[in-house]
Parts: sequence; C-alpha cells; structure tokens
Amino acid sequence: MFQYPLDSKGYQILDEIGRGASAIVYKAICLPMNSSTVAIKSIDLDQAKADFDNVRREAKIMSLLYHPNILKAHCFFTVDRRLWVVMPFMSGGSLQSIITSNFPDGLPEPCIAAVLKETLSALSYLHDQGHLHRDVKAGNILMDSNGSVKLADFGVSASIYESSSSYGPLQGSPSSNLMLTDVAGTPYWMAPEVIHSHTGYSFKADIWSFGITALELAHGRPPLSNLPPSKSLLMKITKQFRFSDYAKFHESKKNKFSKSFKDMVGLCLDQDPSRRPSADKLLKHSFFRYCKGPEFLVKNVLHGLPTVEQRFRQSKIQRLLSLNKTEEEDEEDSLRENIKQRRISGWNFNVEDFELNPVFPNEKEEDSIVKQVRFGGETIIQEKGGDTDGSISSNSPGQTVSVAGTQILSDQVSEVSDDLVQNVGSTSEAESVISASDQGSVDGEMMLSSLLFLKKSLEDQRNEVMTMIGLIQGKKFTEMSREEQLMQVIEKMKVELENEKKKNAALELELEFLKLQYSSGQ
Amino acid sequence: MKGLFKSKPKTPADLVRQTRDLLIYVDRGPDATRETKREEKMMELSKLMRELKSILYGNSEAEPVTEACAQLTQEFFRENTLRLLIICLPKLNLETRKDVTQVVANLQRQQVQSRLIACDYLEANIDLMDILIGGYENTDMALHYGAMLRECIRHQTVARYVLESEHMKKFFDYIQLPNFDIAADAAATFKELLTRHKSTVAEFLSKNYDWFFAEYNSKLLESPNYITRRQAVKLLGDMLLDRSNSAVMTRYVSSRDNLRILMNLLRESSKSIQIEAFHVFKLFAANQHKPPDIVSILVANRSKLLRLFADFKLDKEDEQFEADKAQVVREIAALEPKEGP
Repeated sequence: MFQYPLDSKGYQILDEIGRGASAIVYKAICLPMNSSTVAIKSIDLDQAKADFDNVRREAKIMSLLYHPNILKAHCFFTVDRRLWVVMPFMSGGSLQSIITSNFPDGLPEPCIAAVLKETLSALSYLHDQGHLHRDVKAGNILMDSNGSVKLADFGVSASIYESSSSYGPLQGSPSSNLMLTDVAGTPYWMAPEVIHSHTGYSFKADIWSFGITALELAHGRPPLSNLPPSKSLLMKITKQFRFSDYAKFHESKKNKFSKSFKDMVGLCLDQDPSRRPSADKLLKHSFFRYCKGPEFLVKNVLHGLPTVEQRFRQSKIQRLLSLNKTEEEDEEDSLRENIKQRRISGWNFNVEDFELNPVFPNEKEEDSIVKQVRFGGETIIQEKGGDTDGSISSNSPGQTVSVAGTQILSDQVSEVSDDLVQNVGSTSEAESVISASDQGSVDGEMMLSSLLFLKKSLEDQRNEVMTMIGLIQGKKFTEMSREEQLMQVIEKMKVELENEKKKNAALELELEFLKLQYSSGQ
Repeated sequence: MKGLFKSKPKTPADLVRQTRDLLIYVDRGPDATRETKREEKMMELSKLMRELKSILYGNSEAEPVTEACAQLTQEFFRENTLRLLIICLPKLNLETRKDVTQVVANLQRQQVQSRLIACDYLEANIDLMDILIGGYENTDMALHYGAMLRECIRHQTVARYVLESEHMKKFFDYIQLPNFDIAADAAATFKELLTRHKSTVAEFLSKNYDWFFAEYNSKLLESPNYITRRQAVKLLGDMLLDRSNSAVMTRYVSSRDNLRILMNLLRESSKSIQIEAFHVFKLFAANQHKPPDIVSILVANRSKLLRLFADFKLDKEDEQFEADKAQVVREIAALEPKEGP
C-alpha cells in the first residue's frame, strides 16, 4: 500500500475549500503520488477549542474505521501548531453546500433517499463499532464525483467503549456504561436528550440528527435555522420564537413528499429515544427499498454543479455582502420580530406538513397524528441564561455593554422612541452575525468587521441615549463647556472616519473576491 | 447471540476453548493447509471474537451477565489464550483486531471471585508487555497494541514493570513519531504510566531522577516540535503538582537549568504552552528555600517577568489562576539578592 508522505513537503496546496472555527480545509495535490488530488484538513491545535483529547480521539477513530460510506484519513501529522489530516478529495463537496448552491428548496425525494441510505449504512457501521457520530448533518455528508456518499468529521464523536474510564470492574449497571453525558454537536441537529443531558444519551441521538438531516435535505435547511444557533438551543428548551418566519418557511410542500418518507422521518424524530429505530432497523424501512444508485446522483445532483472551490468562494462573498445589507430591511425584520414573539413549550413533528413545529402552551392539541414532544428543563435556562441575557444597567450610558445584552437594550430603546428603530435594526443584525460566528463559520476578518459594526451601532445608540437624557434633563445637558462640545464633535468625526475606513475596507475586500471569482470563472 | 442457542448451546467457556483451538491453528502458519480452509477458519475466529465481545459488553438486546463474564474470564486466563491472541493479532483482519482489542480491554477489569485474575496472568507472563510496547514500531499494529497496553497498565504491578524496564526510554521517541495518531497514542500511554499509580510513580521518579529529567528536558521540553513541548509541559505540571511527588518537585525546582527551560517556555508565542509553563514556573517562585542561583536568575529577570505577568490572562476568568499569579508576582517583587549589590 502506498504510504502518504508524513510532512508538508509532500503536498502542494491548491485552494481553500472550507473553513471552521479552528480548522481550514484545502484542496491539495500529493506530489510523490503522481500529483493526485487530496483534501487536507488543517486543525489549529493551539486554540482553546481544539481540545487535545478530542483531536486524538478523532485521529484514532478515523484511523481504525473502514467502510465505503465513511471518509477515511490517509494519514495525520503535525505542521508546527497545526494538525494536517490528509483525506480523499470529495469533489462534490458537502450536501449542505450542494443544496445551498443548486437546491435552495431541497433535493428531489429519490436523491434524498439515495443519500440518506448511504449515510445510514455508515451510521449502522459506526454504531456497531460502539461509536456515536454526534454531529450528523448535511454539512458532514460528502459526495464524490462518482456519486458515492461518505460521512465525515468525527471531531465530536465518542466511543461507548472508551467512556467508562473509571477504574474497576465492568459490573453494576451496564446500561450506565453505555451512556454519555456531555453536550456535543451542532444545535439545530441536536436531539432533545442531548440538550437535557442529565439522563444521558446514546446511539439514538444520532438517529434524531439523521431525521433532522432528512428535513434539511428536503427543505434546503434544517428546521429553525433562521435563528442563531445558540438561540435555537435555548428555544428547544422553551423560549421565544419568531412565529412569522416559520410561517413563511411553511409554504405549500405538503404533498411533495411520499408517505413513506414522512413516516421514516417521523420515526427518527420521536421524543422518546427508545422508540426511535436503530440504524440497522431503519435501513429496512420501505423508504429505502427501491433506492437509486450513484449514477442517479451524478446525473441529478452533481450535474451542472459549480466546483467546491467556486462554491466556497461564493459563500464567502455572500457572507460579506450580508454585512452590508441595508438597514431598512432589518427594520422590518426586527419590528415583526418584536410583535410576534411567543413562547413554545416543545415540539411537534407534524407528519402531514412534514415540519418540526413548536408547541405553544395553552393551545389545544388539535391533531391526533401529531407526536407530542415536550421539553421541561427550566433549570437549564437558568444555567445557560447568562449566555444570552447579559444584564445591563441603563443609568450610565457610557459604560460598555456586552454583546449579548444588545438586544435587550435595543428593545428598551425602541419602546421609548420610534426614531431609534433604525439602530435597533442594525444592532440585531450585527448580533445575529456574531451568533453565527459562534458556530465557527466566520473567520477572524469577518468577526472583526462585524464587531466593528456592532461597535458603531452601540456608539450610535449611546449618542441617541445621550440626546434623550439631554431632552429629559433639559438644560443640564446643554450647559456643556465649549471644550466638551468640541470633544464631542471630534468624537463624532472620528466615528465617521472610522466608518468610512471600514466601508472602504469592505469594498476593497469585496472587489478582491469578485476579482478572484472572475479569474476563476475564466 | 443466535450461535449460542443452536442445537447444543455453547457455554462461554466452550467459546473460549474453540477460540483457542483456532488461534493455535492460525499461529502454526499457512504452510500446512489449503487456502480456502484457512480462510474458513479465519472467518470462524472473527465470528467467535464477536460473540465473546457481545457476552462481555452486551448488545442491543441484552445486558452482560455477570456469571457468563466470570466463566469466560476464568477459561480465558486458565490457559495461554491472551498470549495467542496477541501473537496472532497481525494475522487477523481489521474488524477482528478491533474486537480483540475491546475484549482484551474488558477482561482486564473482570473479577472472578473478587480477584482481577487478568493481573495474575500478566504477572506470570510479563514479557507480553514487551510485545505490546514494541507495537509502537509497527504502523499497522500500534493503535491496537497501544490500546491493550493502556488497559494492562491499569494493574500496578504491570505498570511498575514497564516503568522500570528499558522500554521507558523508548517512549521519548515514540511520542514524537511522525504518524500523529500513533504518537498521540504513545503519549497517552506515557502519561498514564507517569500519573496513574501514585506511589509507584513517586518511587520511579526518585530512583531514576537523573536520566529521566535529563531526557525529559532535552528531548521533550526543548523539542522543536510544538505538540511535544505542549504535551510535555502539561504532563510535567501534572507530575510535579501531585502531592505524592513532592520530594521530586522540590528537587526539580532547585535547579537553575530547569528554571531556564521553564522561563523559555513562558516566553513562547503559544498561549497554551505559556499557561502550562506558568503552572510549573510558579513552583520555582513559591519555593520557600530557593537556592541562591535561582534567586539571582529571578532577580535579574524581575522586571521582564513582572511585565509578562502584568498582561498574562486566561481567556476565561479563573480565580485560582489569578490568585496564583498574584502570589508569584508578590514573591518575585519581594526578592532580595543574597549578596549585597
């Protein structure tokens, strides 16, 4: 067997094709191997997030798994502070990037069936080996040019056999050895019992995520993805919910999907993990009986698809442009948001509508088909409350305000004066950009520009609040010394200059991307 | 489980005996029989290993039964099954290797009449450790043998054997192997050896202080490899901060060479290394009986150190860390050179 070179000299990086919080994925060629194409995931080991034990576990699991539907690593080695994982290059990229690019409203059902069946084989193998994947989603399902499908990214996977690390005989309650309790995964796809991890969870958590992934492939995005991920996590436990956005998402897809598809997803999204089928059992479901082969996927999914590199560049540009979204749009959004907030107490998976719906308290249960999904866990909200509800003392406008608290501040301000709505809009946009970065999809540059953006809107708000205080307190505020007034003017101009600089930088960046895109399109 | 309930149900002991017979056959080598027959036997062996695994771990339908586990364990260690398994492992396919590894791991913790009989067996067959450790030099076997090895050194006597053997020196190279997955596995074993059994570790470190820390400093703490330095300084902290190693710690923090190495690590651009280095450096500063040469180094670098600590912060707030830092700063600020100026 060919031994892939164990240092960076054996490879030549061609292009960046993916980026996360602590990892970048490149397309590269392996020089001593006739310059064959590979993908290299470069993980920053110095970041706090890259917990060393997890990285080690991922490496070990990937080295020892061998299955046609699991992405294997050719080798691992370190390059200074980064770990390079050399893997086969999957030219179709992730299903997430495929649907974003070419199927914004979801894949056709026969394609979904084919993709899911392959994914399920991988899960079945993984579970048989005693591993949980813990991060099943379209973003981790990759497709090659020949239509083959592989499950990737074992960054958070865990082994049932390794979890019982306490010394002593394997006796007592064996079932407790087969349970994990730490929270891992990506919020939208996480099973309820993973979020409420007091009781522990097991293989069935992957089945839930698999069900969410099915909805993601069917609709183009996972349920609730219109919310920032950290909020979605809280919402699952009971929180405010933007009803209007969800209604928009509903549309008229009721009859687009077959009964067996809906039934299959319904089984996966059972609130009770023990009632969800195992991967093995699910493979025998009628939905997977007459599945199309890889050629079908090549023809119907891969055909006419931009390359992975192009898609990555496109998504980068999109993210950049979303930063410059006009403030008027957001004004509307935030108004709607303020009006239509409601509490939910759990989830319904509605088989007919094929959606995961929130359950609103004090509502009658109208539909017998609906499977009731409940979330208790008020205590979790209290534990995690600090994450989102940063408190603010409003009496001193000059003090710094935590990012998470901004929303609260803007709500208060909007009640006071309609003139300030503009600021509210811009602030909530900046906030959502930042929340997105929690998930690791935004690089440092983007983070910085969104933070600057936030800073600016905070400064604007501060000025407005100052003015309001001035109005209320009357003279006091206008009796400023000349020096103070001048200072204020200078301060204002500085802010303006800063904004101009920033706009300039953003435009330059955009230009750069467009150039890149242009040159690659040639 | 089906196999268990065929015409004549096999007991766990039967399964072990059958496994052993097949292993003896496999061990004899390929020359004696036809290829097809051999393949058949290999398949059978794979199936048996699955069955043994499901008795020990349970499966989706059933939890493990204590009595069956005890029977299996007893039969397993009654004869040389473990040795055969370890020797034959390279001849098995990947999936069976993984099953074997899990079975062997589990057996280390099985009690028969409240005795860990695996430990008795290993004490009598301690040379098996040599095979397992040697696995780190074989890319294909390293992760399997490594996982078994880590389970075996849960037994204190086995860990003591490995610590006192010549193998200990090889770990300094194993943890820097270019294959990251193997190097990381070796590092995990190395750490286990040096932290699990407190009294044995303390005894080992005192007896082998000179060569061990000479190697540790030059090969690991001063390695050009980032990962090696980072893991080494973390482990050093774990060892020195352990109460049972206090004698070793006192000795370590009295050496100016060690101080120099730690101060270099403090200056690294990697935050993770800096923080781990701080946890060792604080022991030098907190030492109430600092030798004069240590004091003079600290005094000579006083302003630089204080400046460093002034903006030395963790990403997350940590009271303990801040308290430690404050104490280190106080200690350094209060230092007087032993001889007058």
